[in-house]
Amino acid sequence: MSTVVAYKWSANPQDAVVGSDGTVDWSRAKAGVGEYDTIPIELGRRLADATGDELVGVSVGPAAVASPMAKKAALSRGLDRAVVLADDAVAGWNLTRVAAALAALADRAEATIVLTGDASVDENAKMTSALVAGSLGWPCFQDVSEVARTDDGWRLTQVVSGGTREIEVSGGVVVAVTTDAVVPRVPGMKEILAAGKKPVDEVSVSEIELPEAALEIQGRARPVMATRKHHVFGGTDAVNQLVAAMRADGAI
Amino acid sequence: MATTWIITADTAVSSLLDTARSLGAPVTLVALTPEASAVDGVSTVVALDAGDAPVEALAPAVAETVTAGDGDVVLLPNRPAERVIAGALAARLGAPVLTGVREVGTGSVTRARFGGIALETVATSGPVVIVADGGAEAPVGEPVRATPTTSVYPARVTASSAASTTVANLASAKRIVAVGRGVKSEADLAMIRALAAKLGAELACSRPLAEGLDWLPKDVYIGVSGQTVTPDLYLAIGISGQLQHMVGAQDARTIVVVNTDDKAPILAYADYAVVGDLYDVVPALTEAL
Amino acid sequence: MDFSLSEEQQLLLESLDELLERDCSLAYIAACDAEHRQPVEFKRAMHEAGFLTLGFPEEYGGTPTDTMTLCLIAERVARQGLNLGYSTEILQVLDILEFGSEEQKQAVLGVLAEGEVPFALAFTEPGAGSDSAAMAMTAVHRDGKVVLNGTKTLVTNAVDSKYLLTMARNPDATDPRRAISMYLVPMDTPGIELSPILKMCWHTADSSEIFYNDVVVDESCLVGVKGEGFVQLMKNFEVERIMTATQSLGLAEAAFEDAAAYAAQRVQFGQPIGNFQQIQQKLTDMAIKIENMRNFVYHSAWMVDNDCLDRTQAAMCKRYCSLAAFEVCDDAMQIFGGLGVTEGVRVERLWRDARGHRFGGGTDEIMVHIVGRQIVKQHSR
Repeated sequence: MSTVVAYKWSANPQDAVVGSDGTVDWSRAKAGVGEYDTIPIELGRRLADATGDELVGVSVGPAAVASPMAKKAALSRGLDRAVVLADDAVAGWNLTRVAAALAALADRAEATIVLTGDASVDENAKMTSALVAGSLGWPCFQDVSEVARTDDGWRLTQVVSGGTREIEVSGGVVVAVTTDAVVPRVPGMKEILAAGKKPVDEVSVSEIELPEAALEIQGRARPVMATRKHHVFGGTDAVNQLVAAMRADGAI
Repeated sequence: MATTWIITADTAVSSLLDTARSLGAPVTLVALTPEASAVDGVSTVVALDAGDAPVEALAPAVAETVTAGDGDVVLLPNRPAERVIAGALAARLGAPVLTGVREVGTGSVTRARFGGIALETVATSGPVVIVADGGAEAPVGEPVRATPTTSVYPARVTASSAASTTVANLASAKRIVAVGRGVKSEADLAMIRALAAKLGAELACSRPLAEGLDWLPKDVYIGVSGQTVTPDLYLAIGISGQLQHMVGAQDARTIVVVNTDDKAPILAYADYAVVGDLYDVVPALTEAL
Repeated sequence: MDFSLSEEQQLLLESLDELLERDCSLAYIAACDAEHRQPVEFKRAMHEAGFLTLGFPEEYGGTPTDTMTLCLIAERVARQGLNLGYSTEILQVLDILEFGSEEQKQAVLGVLAEGEVPFALAFTEPGAGSDSAAMAMTAVHRDGKVVLNGTKTLVTNAVDSKYLLTMARNPDATDPRRAISMYLVPMDTPGIELSPILKMCWHTADSSEIFYNDVVVDESCLVGVKGEGFVQLMKNFEVERIMTATQSLGLAEAAFEDAAAYAAQRVQFGQPIGNFQQIQQKLTDMAIKIENMRNFVYHSAWMVDNDCLDRTQAAMCKRYCSLAAFEVCDDAMQIFGGLGVTEGVRVERLWRDARGHRFGGGTDEIMVHIVGRQIVKQHSR
């Protein structure tokens, strides 16, 4: 019986360099545990402490996911152990396939609930939780700020426009956690040293069945920015000049 | 014969209807609530009613209803409940999911990757699930009677504190005033609101003001994981213009910038800019309009 | 020679960066400095994240950590612009761990575990600064009690401490080299009076003059061996000197970053002042000094960790870094021009705080005394 958290090992696109042919160079970007993934790990830690379950991290990504650095970084955040699929081929997989792999790992970890972050730092799709749930045949709820166990399932607090609502679910559920649900603790030396000793199971692609869900990439390009006028107004009359220009333009 | 499917929980789907129309195939709309079934101008409407279960619980019913085959495109608006439905359907179909979509053509889709730094064109053959900005309110007619269904996940809403406040629909706003971290305190937003009111504009913000600072609701932050808007006028005040924010606003017709830093990234996106202290510029601008 | 950080060090510094971002913003530091108050909230956050128990043994609730890692942490905090934000606690605790009785160890570690300041070092006197052997405070042992009389000054961080680690002389000692002993005196002992000293630097660390008027404590307050106080204290001064040098390094790095960014933006005579040779020369020499300080600090830390620290290394490191850091901060202030002395531009605080390290923990001149003597001695027959 475990509480599973899906986390991603990836880099911030801000540090990537895009060539004119659209190829993305990640060499100067530093990968890390997703900025918004530390929140479900913290929430999961508190939940697992309350229920007595194991907190297991699952991750699917390139070979680097199984590197000592990546393992320690994730485990030091509060996981008891992790199950990962680390294969450079993953970079070419569609979200559906990645999520199916995560679901398989969660299943291996005997998950009774799967937590994810709001979105990954590099793709921002907000789809992983939904797809994992689809693969598991479980309901999914996003924008969740609180989770508690009930006799036959889970009680969630979901943030909706203008307020919150409570949802009770029987059985398993996949939950995407809001970015401000909890403030993650900062790993100290004890946690970092202990992380090196926690078990990480590596699963290979051949061990699980996955849908192809393939896409054929026809082309890549650097986005072309729209031509802008770049009129900068300065000096004491700047505001009046701006208003005049906007009026002349029909913008106001 | 291919079908284009639109699955939605409300009627703010005009952009999806435009996309569907351009694809040319007959459109089936699957409404996840009675209200959504009133959308006009599609070939077929199927209404599902979750009863007192949350919309997300309808995933199994949607999977049964949407028998998408090769060449079919399934469109869903980028909102929490619809994303969940999209995921359930894509998993069931073994179909790829596409987000950050810029253009949808028959058999090919162009989408942004990695927060918008690169564009990718992909060929689609089997069914494909696309999650995209729904757009403004669509024209509506009469709602359609719901098909009763028991294919619902075991979940129910037990309490709700959602006030029925009107949420700004930034998607249909012609003018938007967006504010960022240049503003030092929540009280200073009053000055920005005054400007927005004078312009007849909606108020929006960059991510930090809605998250972390909590000065504005999360559904008015513009960016790669927030709202995407295409107003006629986008006035960005005290926003540095990181890519993660600008991808949500870069298609505005006219972009006006107020910033103290003439090296801020946002200047590259500006049609007009005043480099100065917003605390001086904003009141002066409100006065001059 | 492998200069790279271990993965554990990298992760620890990432955690520290998170903490600094959350709990030690530039505005926060500026406010603490302006208000002359301790960064209590930041220290508490460091404590909660386990940073304050690094460097001492596990059986006392600590996590053994090498000096190199402690210096890396101290550098990062100082580089944020917070002087003496980290590292002062450990050194003092090391003294007690090495020489104290079981009760003293438990008492001090207990306080530390609560995230509080265990003790302040009461060493310097109005008449005994560099000439510490001239200290006049007396400790008279009689009937199982010790009576302390005298004045200590420039005691750092005494206001919130639970104890004063007090150095005092036995007035009846025959051998002046065995006259001074170390006492762990509870702050609330009757007869102790604190008087605040306002300084132009180090506003986030309080300084006090402390009067001991017939302060009576139990003989069990003696730490270690009577008469060995000075030797005991000097034992860990080497590490303290390296840590002080690390503070200087961090402050210099902060000043350098500010100055370099300013030089690249500030336009005079139609171009950024960074285009002018005199500015470029300053920046280059500042960068060279920082590289030197870094190498000095980390080599010294390595020597401690590999048990090969000689008698001059720490003193040389402290002298060089205190002086070089002040020069870097001074050049940084000059690059800012008039703006550099205005409140709200942090280089003025960095300059003030860097100045303090030229005498705090031993003056530049005493470092010469220590090293110079040793050099000649080593070269004599």
